[in-house]
Amino acid sequence: MKRYFRELSVLGALAAVLFGMAIFAPAFFSPQPLLSLLTREAPTLIVACGMACVIITRQIDISVGSMFSVCSVCAGLLAARGWPLLLVLPASILLGAGLGAINGLLIAGLRLPSIVVTLATMVTLRQGLNLVRQGEFVNLPDSLQWFGLSQRSGQLVLVGASLAFLVALALAMRHLAAGRFVYAVGTDAEAARLAGIRPQLVTFLVFVFIGALTGLAAMMNLAQSPQVQPLSGAGLELKVIAAVVVGGVAISGGRGNLWGAFAGLLLLACVSPALTHLHIEAYWEKAIQGAIILLAVVADGLRSRKAKR
Amino acid sequence: MKKILLHLCTAGAVLLASLVTASAADSKLVVAMLPKSKGNAYFISCKAGADKAAKELGIQLLFDGPTDSNAAKQNEIVENWITLGVDVIAVAAENKEGISTALRKARKSGIKVITFDADAMTDARSFFVNQATPEGIGHGLMDEAARLTNSEGEFAMIVASLTAANQREWQKHIEARLKEKYPKMKLVAVRPCDDLKDKAQSEATALLSANPKLKLIMAICSPGVPGAAEAVKQAGMTGKVKVMGLGLPNENKRYVHAGVTDSVILWNTGDLGYLAIYAGVAVAKDELKKGAKTFKAGSLGTFNIVGDNILLGKPFIFNKGNIDQFDF
Repeated sequence: MKRYFRELSVLGALAAVLFGMAIFAPAFFSPQPLLSLLTREAPTLIVACGMACVIITRQIDISVGSMFSVCSVCAGLLAARGWPLLLVLPASILLGAGLGAINGLLIAGLRLPSIVVTLATMVTLRQGLNLVRQGEFVNLPDSLQWFGLSQRSGQLVLVGASLAFLVALALAMRHLAAGRFVYAVGTDAEAARLAGIRPQLVTFLVFVFIGALTGLAAMMNLAQSPQVQPLSGAGLELKVIAAVVVGGVAISGGRGNLWGAFAGLLLLACVSPALTHLHIEAYWEKAIQGAIILLAVVADGLRSRKAKR
Repeated sequence: MKKILLHLCTAGAVLLASLVTASAADSKLVVAMLPKSKGNAYFISCKAGADKAAKELGIQLLFDGPTDSNAAKQNEIVENWITLGVDVIAVAAENKEGISTALRKARKSGIKVITFDADAMTDARSFFVNQATPEGIGHGLMDEAARLTNSEGEFAMIVASLTAANQREWQKHIEARLKEKYPKMKLVAVRPCDDLKDKAQSEATALLSANPKLKLIMAICSPGVPGAAEAVKQAGMTGKVKVMGLGLPNENKRYVHAGVTDSVILWNTGDLGYLAIYAGVAVAKDELKKGAKTFKAGSLGTFNIVGDNILLGKPFIFNKGNIDQFDF
């Protein structure tokens, strides 16, 4: 219980918000709009899972937003050319993995700091995409929306798939050797090396992993509307990093889990619709989200000081 | 070697072009039009209007620009046109300060310069063909919203951000118009979408469930219109809650045809190109001078001039009936 205090406190905050909404604005829980909003967050959850792994290894990837845009546009163009979903989906994942591999090679291979490398790839990919597309939308074939299912089934599939992935990855991180390697490298890379783990390989693979997940998330987003905006991933990196940090994954590596990241994501994501339902001015949105992040960081800071003593 | 070849080619091209202009100069005025980017559908539709004007006026129209929105490349093209000795240059500036040095140089060598769509520094051109004033956009949006809702009921707005200068300006004029003319309408919420279609969709979804009496969503940033439309469609409220806003025809066609979005407001890009050419030629012929209050442009009639801005006038409304005629 005490071990998971940090995650539970986020869950508690989320429960408090939802309880407040149930009293002051019960319309917040009308099933269809709520399902739609959850579906909108499903791709974000997938990327947040990857980001949690990256941060646990003591790295960061701020290029996910740009990778997301590039995968969205490329997958969209392939689909518009008549490629079937069964080819477009792996193509998008592979493209993401490839972009992630570039980050991974530079970071693990050349031992460059991840914040600088991914800043560079973030800017390069985004500007490259702007150059090619000039902001023009890609129109998708109708068959792609909801993967050809009805809207309701499509939404349930997307939400269900992202939750299933979360559960599977959370279990894998805890019980599989690969998952424990990630924690080991983030806690102490040198100790991990002495224990026979290859930290650089783990780091490389984690970046490939988040790239592939970003490609998957891009597809999950494409299925939700009939056209894609080249700007679509802008700001995604901040959203997922914030979710992960609020959820108790330590930016210094080695600590935290996916359940916390999930709770953090939901907490931050419900701020905007909650304000809309309470008819509070939108100016508060970013301020409240910022305050939540600050609170989380301060809590972590106090905790680690206490631990050191 | 490559460089020498390049120089030879440029020299050849300039020579050839000057021969062409020389032979044409006796009879025809040469107007050079410089878009931000020549492949962009928006500017291609401007060119359609410019071509029409060129034909009516019997002038030669050169149309060239960067293939991407590249400010340095725009300067290069202007330099080339100075060498060529064209009569008029009409520019949509990618970079206000960046292009102005080249334009001043062009004016010094006797070329008349006007701007359209995006202005340069005021001393680098004689007139700016202004496609839309904030007041025109604000009133156009509010009047159309009122028309769609019979001037009563609740509506919500989606903006790009709460702080962007142009958005604030438009919002100010929308709210002023609302207060002045439509007392039975009520603006219940203003939500930012960060210029993201996907965020606009989430915002609109929340707006719909939070405001059951909502009759219309107005988006004043272009990604906001299709985003709001997708939310209304997914909520099964097509027709019940109207969608309209400031946007581009191509991004909204499918929703307009599906009856989700009623009106998309912008300016008529063809008219913009047409007016720019007419104004440029009039300046070259000394028919349009500083201080003029109005200007007549062929079949489009008379336009107002405020200061050195020629105003294209009321925004244009794209709807089911006409949206397919536009491709940008």
